[in-house]
Amino acid sequence: MAEFHKADIEKLIDGVLPWPATQDIIKSPKDSDRFDKYIEIMQERVTFKETILLPLTPMLFIVSADGARVVKCRCGHDFGDYRTNWKLSSLIHVRDDEASLGEIYKGREMPDPSWTQLREYICPGCGSQLEVEAMPRGCPPDFEFLPDLDTFYSEWLGRPLPDSVASEDKTLETIADWSAAK
Amino acid sequence: MMSEPSLKEQLAAYEALFEKTGHLYGYESLARKESDPGTYEAVWHILSNICNAAWSVGCMASTSPVAAEGGDALWALHTPTGDAICVSRGITAHPGLLADMIKNFIRLGYEDHPGFENGDIFENNDPHYGGIHTPDFDMCMPIRYKGKLVAWASSVTHVNDVGMAQPGSIGFLNPNVFADGLTFSMEKVGESDRYYPWYDLRIRSRTRTPDYVLGDARGRLAGCITIRERLFEVIEKYGLDFILDASKEYVEDSRRYAVSRVRTQAIPGRIRKSQFKDLAMKGKRVLDPSQDIDCLFNLPMEMTVNADATVKLSLRGASGTVPFGQNISPTALKSGLLNGYSHIVGFDMFNSGPTASWEVEMPPSGSWANPFEKDFFASSGVAWAPAVIWMSSLYEVFGRLFQMRGFVEEMAAGAATTMTAEFAGQTQLGMYLASLTLEQASNGSPARGYADGENSAWCIYTPNADFGSAEVIEGYLPIMYLGRNIEPDSGGYGQFRGGLGHTAVWMIYGTTGIDYQCGCAGMRSKVLPNHGMYGAYPTWPDRPSYAHDTNLKELIDAQKPLIHERGPAEDPTITRIITARQMEDAAIAPFITPEPLQNYDVILHPVSGAQSMGDPITRDPISIEEDLNKGWTSRRVAEEIHGLVVKQESERDFIVDVAASEKRRQQIRAERIAKAVPFKEWWAVERTKIEARENMDEAVLHMWRTSMELSPSYGEELLAFWALPDDFVF
Ligand SMILES: [Zn+2]
Repeated sequence: MAEFHKADIEKLIDGVLPWPATQDIIKSPKDSDRFDKYIEIMQERVTFKETILLPLTPMLFIVSADGARVVKCRCGHDFGDYRTNWKLSSLIHVRDDEASLGEIYKGREMPDPSWTQLREYICPGCGSQLEVEAMPRGCPPDFEFLPDLDTFYSEWLGRPLPDSVASEDKTLETIADWSAAK
Repeated sequence: MMSEPSLKEQLAAYEALFEKTGHLYGYESLARKESDPGTYEAVWHILSNICNAAWSVGCMASTSPVAAEGGDALWALHTPTGDAICVSRGITAHPGLLADMIKNFIRLGYEDHPGFENGDIFENNDPHYGGIHTPDFDMCMPIRYKGKLVAWASSVTHVNDVGMAQPGSIGFLNPNVFADGLTFSMEKVGESDRYYPWYDLRIRSRTRTPDYVLGDARGRLAGCITIRERLFEVIEKYGLDFILDASKEYVEDSRRYAVSRVRTQAIPGRIRKSQFKDLAMKGKRVLDPSQDIDCLFNLPMEMTVNADATVKLSLRGASGTVPFGQNISPTALKSGLLNGYSHIVGFDMFNSGPTASWEVEMPPSGSWANPFEKDFFASSGVAWAPAVIWMSSLYEVFGRLFQMRGFVEEMAAGAATTMTAEFAGQTQLGMYLASLTLEQASNGSPARGYADGENSAWCIYTPNADFGSAEVIEGYLPIMYLGRNIEPDSGGYGQFRGGLGHTAVWMIYGTTGIDYQCGCAGMRSKVLPNHGMYGAYPTWPDRPSYAHDTNLKELIDAQKPLIHERGPAEDPTITRIITARQMEDAAIAPFITPEPLQNYDVILHPVSGAQSMGDPITRDPISIEEDLNKGWTSRRVAEEIHGLVVKQESERDFIVDVAASEKRRQQIRAERIAKAVPFKEWWAVERTKIEARENMDEAVLHMWRTSMELSPSYGEELLAFWALPDDFVF
């Protein structure tokens, strides 16, 4: 099993590892400690102290916070329970007319606003653009990933997490609360 | 002595063994690999080389532009019960289809009648029996060694014309199956290494380019014979028992690879990705009055990675069938999926193995992905169109999983689009031709987790991305290349950008009239082609241009500047330089030109770049400076979308002020926060707009109606998300 220096993996993530070294990583058998090294690197780059359980995207992480598993941005902003689509706790900017779409797409590049809308999800903490969706009106946002964290840690990594949580989609529960209050 | 079980019995026995043991053929260990790993590996490479030799022989024998110049064909070697053992280079979308076809011949009892003998040629291109679309001719030949059926050779070529209602091979306009052209429905079409005479006669009378179609048939045959004859040499050298055992081990080995790769490089859980595709045909030249409509497809993917590292894929929510050629049978969809899976997950020994590590839930009956139960005569003229988009989702969902595990070098963002250019009419040689160009086989490649994608060097349906030589294409078709350029800003906007696409600029020359068919094999023209990944902006829609009855000859005679590129989106070169009786500078694709094009007419055919990943204001300023100086991005994009402060010294000499840019980017972050609203606030307003169907095109409403009707649970979730009444209908 290959092993790579943490410094090289950092460079790889940042897109600055020279091509021959990158190729070496691509062509070698995979390093079995990559996940741990990756978490270590990310843990050093985030502004919060809580333990990262899983990177969801290069910006968002599922972390263990006082026994709860929540989604946090690199900047520390808390998006709540990882079983509810984090987008519900995000800021959103939607382009659904020619004026707003035209800020990005000019002239012949313009999509038809009665067919599609562009949704930008912005972190309230740092203003990062976390995801962009191009969808017709009516489409619920993609809940990109609901991990089975307990199976992952206990069966795949062989080191169970201290507590276990039922892996179920809670998004509609939040929606139900919102509509009850409306 | 007991007689050998029939192939049908063997197939059933293998299925039962897999069910019981979780291993293909019940192979809990790989005996040949373990006892003699060197020979095992060496024979694998020999067999792969045999398939590649078949590809070279077959493409050269075929003579058609698609195979001979584009290499858009494939040969494979299979076990006696049909599993692909190894495959050639070429269109790797097909091994799954070829394997399923052989199994289908076995299941249909053809072993008893008409029998499987050396030299027999079997063929299928019929979507009702597992084919993907009629231009893809799937064929196979049994291989008997000393009387025993020991393997199959197979091949596919994409023929120029299959006698569809509309010339060519991208049958997006076919209203129903009766427009899909000539079908060979699970047929024996030859024996003793020769096609039957009536096979040739049918092709002669029912396709528009019989010489090329028959050339392809000879090419497929030549490649399959190559495989058979070389396999005999390998059997002589290594022994039949070894070859029979090892063949099956390669397939099980590959299944294990795919499973272990998921387990060691991905994460268990549920992953979702939506995708949409438009097909706007209202008011255009169509074949049937029912086609005067605009359609939007819903192509959602839900993938579950199970605890045992197997994968389940669902198309719950897929929208209904369309009166066009963009429906696909579930068999073909599942078989085609092996292509995406082999690119991104199971590629060590590329064969049927990985298909045993996933399950595709039967798509909703009556959807574009499972049409025949409710719409038996639905057309599959270009069934690839929705399939390749779903394949692109597979890239993206696995890309996300690899990222979570830290394997950023394995990631890819999504693809953009596949828009074809096909011509039908009289060539400069005075003959009739209907033929694809190969432009679409060279998109930009998706952004990677550590770098930009490559420009014009990637194609979703084949790893052999190749747009062919301009000079060779000019030899086949009455067109001249005035340009073939990297298209600036065509790879979306992100931290790492998609590889850029290119635009072909053609002048029609040497014809008495030719149709330009700007075809859909997965294009998007009304909607943005995909989401951006991790906060990137997606690529723009496909908008080709053409001009008919132009002043180009006068410009040439006067030695004035001609048109070589698209130019800026708001100031297109075509409208600046060309005057014409008929001009579309940003046409909504797909379409067929209303009148045949004539000499000196102009076409600008853009081939898309791929998607970016990451927030555009985190892109390395120096990379943007380089793009500016190569002409690959514009100052507007650098400043307004990437948040740079740029100084321009001369036309191709830009300097980025890194410190000022960093300040500007901080400012953009603050502006974003100020401009955006909490999701809940938007949701409360948006749900009332949905309820009022505000600014929703009829194509969108129709899509939602069919998606919700065909997948009630999908509909319930959608209604619950927007807190709409249970009886709400779009
Ligand atoms: Zn943040």
